Amino acid sequence: MNRIIIGLMIALCVVVGAGLLGILDSRATDVFLEATRPDFQKIPIGVFGFQNGGGPEWLGGRIEEVLRADLQRSLVFSLVDLPGIGVKAREVTTADKAVFKQAAENGVSVLVWGKSGPRNGSADSELSMDGFVYDSGSDEVVGGKRYVGSTSVVRLMAHRFADELVFRYTGEPGIARTKIVYVAEHGNARELFVMDYDGYEPKQITADGFLDLMPRWSPDRRFIVFTAYRSRNTQDIDILELATGKRWTLVSMAGLNITPALSPDGNFLAFASSQDGNSEIYKLDTRTKASHRLTVNQGGDLSPTWSPTGREMAFTSDRGGAPQVFIMSADGSNVRRLTYEGDYNAAPAWSPRGNWIAYVCRTAQRLYKLCIVSPDGQKRVQVTTGPGIDDSPSWSPDGRHLTFSSTVDGKSHIYMVDTDGKNVERITFGGTHNSSPSWSPAL
Amino acid sequence: MTIRVATMGLTVVVGMLLVIQGGCSKKSIQSGGDAQSSDRGMAKSGGPAPSAMGSMGSTGGLDAPSATFPDLSLSSKPQDELESGGLRGFDSVSGGKAPSEERLGGGGTMLAKVEPSESTARQIEDIRREQAKEQAASAEAGLRDVFFGYDSWTITEEGRQSLTQDAQWIKGNAGALVKIEGHCDERGTLAYNLVLGEKRAKAVRNYLVELGVGANRLAVVSYGKERPFCNERNESCYQQNRRGHVVVRSK
Repeated sequence: MNRIIIGLMIALCVVVGAGLLGILDSRATDVFLEATRPDFQKIPIGVFGFQNGGGPEWLGGRIEEVLRADLQRSLVFSLVDLPGIGVKAREVTTADKAVFKQAAENGVSVLVWGKSGPRNGSADSELSMDGFVYDSGSDEVVGGKRYVGSTSVVRLMAHRFADELVFRYTGEPGIARTKIVYVAEHGNARELFVMDYDGYEPKQITADGFLDLMPRWSPDRRFIVFTAYRSRNTQDIDILELATGKRWTLVSMAGLNITPALSPDGNFLAFASSQDGNSEIYKLDTRTKASHRLTVNQGGDLSPTWSPTGREMAFTSDRGGAPQVFIMSADGSNVRRLTYEGDYNAAPAWSPRGNWIAYVCRTAQRLYKLCIVSPDGQKRVQVTTGPGIDDSPSWSPDGRHLTFSSTVDGKSHIYMVDTDGKNVERITFGGTHNSSPSWSPAL
Repeated sequence: MTIRVATMGLTVVVGMLLVIQGGCSKKSIQSGGDAQSSDRGMAKSGGPAPSAMGSMGSTGGLDAPSATFPDLSLSSKPQDELESGGLRGFDSVSGGKAPSEERLGGGGTMLAKVEPSESTARQIEDIRREQAKEQAASAEAGLRDVFFGYDSWTITEEGRQSLTQDAQWIKGNAGALVKIEGHCDERGTLAYNLVLGEKRAKAVRNYLVELGVGANRLAVVSYGKERPFCNERNESCYQQNRRGHVVVRSK
């Protein structure tokens, strides 16, 4: 309990401190907050219903369902089964002090509830959602939110409310409004799609008719970089502006142009190209268009991934005969091998917190699973187990989850998993081939 | 307890200051480093041809040609733009006051609609037609493919026999251009399989050149595991997909 209060105080201090300085940089990756520690105790939260005042029949239930799933996935809160501890009230108001007290006495730290319905009472108007928060530490209703919008933003209302809760208790923005870009089969082609982090609202963003592969977000979430087969015979690295659909070609060298990754400050594009014979890693300054080669050897080098500070990159190289993960400085110097276990380690992804690098590891049973390793190589953990070919790990911006593709259910689909291997959740259900997910930065 | 909390709070605020400070100095160090390495990288690799670099950013065939790249620098964006849709915290509701209204726009306004234009529809049709033409021409020529072992790009004895036959046809048809597609089975990562597919395609090309075919008549492309010949999950299917596919180019 003390820890929670201290955590809350820290969160408030961070917010106040940042507020005083006039900046609140949600991308400050060097700050480790309480909730990232392994001994972090989740905050017990109880969710009452969202009364439906004349809206579509599904409205209140939908909001509650989305909110519960978000809170569960946040890993900051643990959902308390309120009826299970004898708290029965389904519809509460800010005045229900006795109910709050009863829940608090049974170990619930935070309670949320709300109401929803047409904004002006008339059935054809916009929808509104009110959400309220009670905190047992201060024994008061600490505040509320009111969201309004069309039917199409109902899930977003719940996501946003969840993110506000995570923000209040950790000082981090939460991941409920993040998105995932991925590749899906469309006709005979592979095109890019963007969906919410929970798999809802998929939207197609390219229609090129052949192969668009390996999409990655720009750090400001406005752009996607990816490999596009311009014809069936040549590839470019293109960048697409999501809001406008506008598109530019960044790299169009001879040979393979693959695995693009923008630096954390957005100024550099790292990628692999085989214009000099075998695949090597290059770095392009997006402001000057100057580009130079970082790796020099006979093996294939590919899949660069930036450390959150932008000072280093991890990448795949088969310079020793089989693919392994290496690290180098962002100028190409100081190359050292990171993985030693097994004869196939590839597709590294550096966590936004900097403390892990996820990658695809081939196990002794020759299964392709996800592993994580610390950047000093000292700690290594296999994250996923069982059948299926796992590929393309990508971190959630809070560093607590990975999204990846797997063939565990037959066809390739997109999944997410906690970094400790728990809570494997499938997030795509339609389509015949979903692959290559990349998780957006937080808002 | 109070002292402890206060101390921690202070530490965090000081920490924030340090992080911000660190962020600034980091930037200057980094740009210095990049300037240096730029020279060295060029010297080391013999420098990618300047013309190749000059051609970057050409946008032939794209709908929105633009000589300059979009500004991707995170620091150049106004904070409120980055934080648009940022969180605002909870409003006080004491005394039964209602929270202030926050309007959530459009749901999907962040994404432009993809409407396959006439030109993309045409492109898709071109691809289909071109592919059919290549298949027909390759079948008529009797070109044979090369198959590879797991993780391997070494050409087997059987593969060499196929290529000897292919080389004869290519040499006997002086006008023909040939493309070698590198393919992989579904095991392994998407990215590494693209590199593996290219190694296979280049191994085939190099052997054909050894047999006397002019390198300028041979193009290579890798499809990794993205264009499989067979979609089942067994060794005979995997074997079909670990392939150097030799085709007559339609142009």
